[in-house]
Amino acid sequence: MTTCHNIRPLLPARAEELSLFEIHTRAEHVADCARCATEAAAYSRLGQALAVMANLEVDPADGTLERVLVAIGRRRTGVTDPRILAAAGSAGALVATVVVARAVRSRRRSRRRPSGPWSRRLRLPNLPVPTPALARAK
Amino acid sequence: MEVDRELVEAAQAGDRWALEELVRRTHRSVYTCALRLVGNPDDAADVTQDVYLRVVRKLGGFRHEASFSTWLNRVTTNVAMSTLKRRTRRFAVEGAAVPADTRDPAPEPAERAEAIALARRLELLVAGLPEGQRQVLVLRDVYGQSTEEVANAMGLTPGAVKVRLFRARERLKAELEATEGGQVVALAGRRRATGRRS
Repeated sequence: MTTCHNIRPLLPARAEELSLFEIHTRAEHVADCARCATEAAAYSRLGQALAVMANLEVDPADGTLERVLVAIGRRRTGVTDPRILAAAGSAGALVATVVVARAVRSRRRSRRRPSGPWSRRLRLPNLPVPTPALARAK
Repeated sequence: MEVDRELVEAAQAGDRWALEELVRRTHRSVYTCALRLVGNPDDAADVTQDVYLRVVRKLGGFRHEASFSTWLNRVTTNVAMSTLKRRTRRFAVEGAAVPADTRDPAPEPAERAEAIALARRLELLVAGLPEGQRQVLVLRDVYGQSTEEVANAMGLTPGAVKVRLFRARERLKAELEATEGGQVVALAGRRRATGRRS
């Protein structure tokens, strides 16, 4: 038989904190013991009042809200949604690729384009095309 | 503390007004939770500010899997616990740590009036608990966090959380009964005699 001494540690606990066996044992004992039933009811009432406390609010000191708003205004990055940040990153990468590609292309064009008639390379149809020394050795 | 999902999403998208509105609507709740955990109005104000700085950084990662208020409570818990770990000084938390102007933002239905009146009395008794017991009780019984969540937040084992919770509930019930029975003087004497065990 379960004694009050054995049940006492179980009385303050919520049901979800106990095993099924403990719940059953406590319920059985409380049904037969008026003193433990009173204790259990007091803990139950306490638990309900503590849960109500979550809805009670305290007004902070004057200036706390303003202080928070100033602080987050300084720290705020503007956009925090990762989807928007990813889209912005992709767009930035695309723009950077286009800019680099255009720069490379214009540089190649400027190399091909001669700056004056004296530097123009003339191709003579009947003359052999000059080849590098290494290719000739082979 | 109820917050519209649309408001949170607007804040996530970078809407400055939405973010400020979010702070306006929730700052009392955050401050109250912080005050219950750190037990000091100045530290609670610092924690409140740090909570929102963290919210600005992490809001983009909030996926609406839990309610915003639950998420905000977890952030508040983590920031408060970090603050307590950094804090070197210890405050003597007496009943006066929680201001008396505790208010209920929701209308009071008749059947809840008694529970609310009791909760207001409890606020002072909870503030008088030893720090370790108070934090465990506030996180578990007031904010409904699981034993594992409380253990993680406080760096304790679940077993240690259960022990503190048991002591806190037992002590709180005894003190509540004493005050309700008009035995305030006897209670004060017993408090002095038992000292601050946690």
